[in-house]
Amino acid sequence: MRDRLGYVVLVATIAAYLVVYSSSLGRLPTSFDYLSILNTMLPLVFVAIGQSLVVLTGGIDLSVGGIVSLCVAVTATIVTGDGLAPFGWVLVVLVLGAACGAVNGVIVSAGRIAPILTTLATLSIFTGLALWVLPVPGGSIPPVVRNVLSNPNVPTGLIWLGVAIGGWLVLRRTRFGMRVYAVGSDETSARAVGVPAARVKLGVYALSGLCSGLAAVFYVSTTTAGDANAGAPFILTSIASVVVGGVAFSGGRGSALGAVAGAVALTLVIDVLFFAGIDPLYQSLFQGLFLVVAVLLGTVATLVTRRRRAVT
Amino acid sequence: MNLHRYGRLLVAALALSIAAACGSPASEAPAAQPSGSAPAAKLKIALSNSFIGNQWRVEMENVFKAACAMPPYVDQVECSVYNAGNDVSTQSRQISNLISQGVDGIVVNAASTSGLNGVVQQACDRGIVVVSFDNTVDAACGLTVNTDQVKFGQQLAQFLVDQLKGQGKVIMVTGVAGTGADNDRNKGAKEVFAANPGIEIVATYSGMWDSATAQRATSGQLPGLPKVDGVWVSGGTDGVIKAFSAAKRPMPVFAGEAENGFRKYMAGILEPKVNGMSIGQPPFLSVIALELARGVIKNEHPKESVTIPFPVVTSDSLVPGETVFPDLPDSFFADFTDSGPNATVILCQQGATDGTPCPGKTLDVNFGTR
Repeated sequence: MRDRLGYVVLVATIAAYLVVYSSSLGRLPTSFDYLSILNTMLPLVFVAIGQSLVVLTGGIDLSVGGIVSLCVAVTATIVTGDGLAPFGWVLVVLVLGAACGAVNGVIVSAGRIAPILTTLATLSIFTGLALWVLPVPGGSIPPVVRNVLSNPNVPTGLIWLGVAIGGWLVLRRTRFGMRVYAVGSDETSARAVGVPAARVKLGVYALSGLCSGLAAVFYVSTTTAGDANAGAPFILTSIASVVVGGVAFSGGRGSALGAVAGAVALTLVIDVLFFAGIDPLYQSLFQGLFLVVAVLLGTVATLVTRRRRAVT
Repeated sequence: MNLHRYGRLLVAALALSIAAACGSPASEAPAAQPSGSAPAAKLKIALSNSFIGNQWRVEMENVFKAACAMPPYVDQVECSVYNAGNDVSTQSRQISNLISQGVDGIVVNAASTSGLNGVVQQACDRGIVVVSFDNTVDAACGLTVNTDQVKFGQQLAQFLVDQLKGQGKVIMVTGVAGTGADNDRNKGAKEVFAANPGIEIVATYSGMWDSATAQRATSGQLPGLPKVDGVWVSGGTDGVIKAFSAAKRPMPVFAGEAENGFRKYMAGILEPKVNGMSIGQPPFLSVIALELARGVIKNEHPKESVTIPFPVVTSDSLVPGETVFPDLPDSFFADFTDSGPNATVILCQQGATDGTPCPGKTLDVNFGTR
């Protein structure tokens, strides 16, 4: 049941959004609304996928904020030209993101330092580098990239969302995917049966870095410019997405799809609060309440299922 | 089991949508202005602010709300206010939703000067007038209302030079490094000091635009400094004065921000009385932006960005209740209203503290002729 928490919350949020929107404006959302929601939520969706992979191994990645910032700064600075050239540069950014993630992976697995400490330290380093690359907000992105990634008129974002979800579905069936769950459930036993836990962790952090890189590219593509502080909000929202998505912080349970659902729900909550006319001063209060209720829902559901099992 | 699962899912969805539906009558609340007699064609103008965590932002929103409740806006404009925190994606969602709502104008204090370009362009494409102020948006299609921060530095530095007759030792207390306003203010000041060889800058350090930080930093610097003749402060001026006072130093000439505390020292309401000039980034920029948006939508004002002069006072020109407020805290920004015959806009104390309209007053915004 807990695994489905993300979907339950998502369905409820979508329903709330439709009700609040139509009662406020007297019509259903238009393609403009759907498209702008899609394009705004994509960066968070990618970061949440990466974060969920790390959490599945029982770790946590605070440095996603720094990697997104750094990659946003680099994307806004170096991705130029027309034709295919900008896409080459996008690949360079993705490699950079993965490399930053791999640094985390090496420190966590080889250095045996707690993930929260490691990624807290690298968060500062990556954010510092981002400020060095782009001290003042600015930069640009070629229109061709924008048209392909987050076209403001055609839902190209759906393709990339599909690719991300498909990528996860394939990944979880590979040997690496199984090992991620194995390491997260019980690292000692996993090692005992020959799972290379260190290599799995390295891979997971590198993937998280790659996802942050993707998020950065989509961020710049949607906003059309860079800001070295762009990544900071993603740290907490990605963790919140993972929580709402029903991924267990003890590791080994949950799925990246849940985190995707959590990320979409969290984006929609902003719109629900907007159209519900909540006083802006109390919006963060309600966002927090939403989180608490979502998590409580999961806990209650788990308890109920357990009791029912005990009875039968 | 399957049935149960979907059953639960449905119940949850229903519960949430009912909760939301019950909440939704409030949706008219932020826009609720005295209706009834008003003509049908009220303009809808929304304020989209980023974060609301300091005194300046609170005053900025209060004077906006006060202006909306005063003529001419109360009859012409339906205002609403949204805060996004320092999160670009939240603010861009809010602006998208304002586009969906079909507002006529959006007034923005941005979480990022570059991060809202995409959504602001979309608003412009739909014929919405977007005016950003304070932390402005880069998007070329949007209008801006702001002050000239280089001039801030120059004007304060020139005041010191004049007061000291071109001779003396000066310290500079700067703001938060890496921000555009800090860079510009320092640049303006250094230009003026450099042009006056008799002025020697004996110390430059950051006060982080915060009175407590500025006080601590100044206390740390003072023992190593010779007699100081003039102090240039980018923010946190009352803290610097307190540090001088605590060290029993003679009071130099001060050129600083618009903190009410600083102005209390200037007016002699707090001891010791200091000689100085006070300039600030005015919270009423939100009101100017509102007026520009209204004027452009109604074709009463050309579609041009506006730079307004800073509200300036010196020790001699202070008037309690107009430019310094004895019963307001030191941290209050006393420049929520302009003063003098060429004032950009005049607002009252309750407008800045509570967001309530100034009784019996019609707002008149003067864009100036510079």
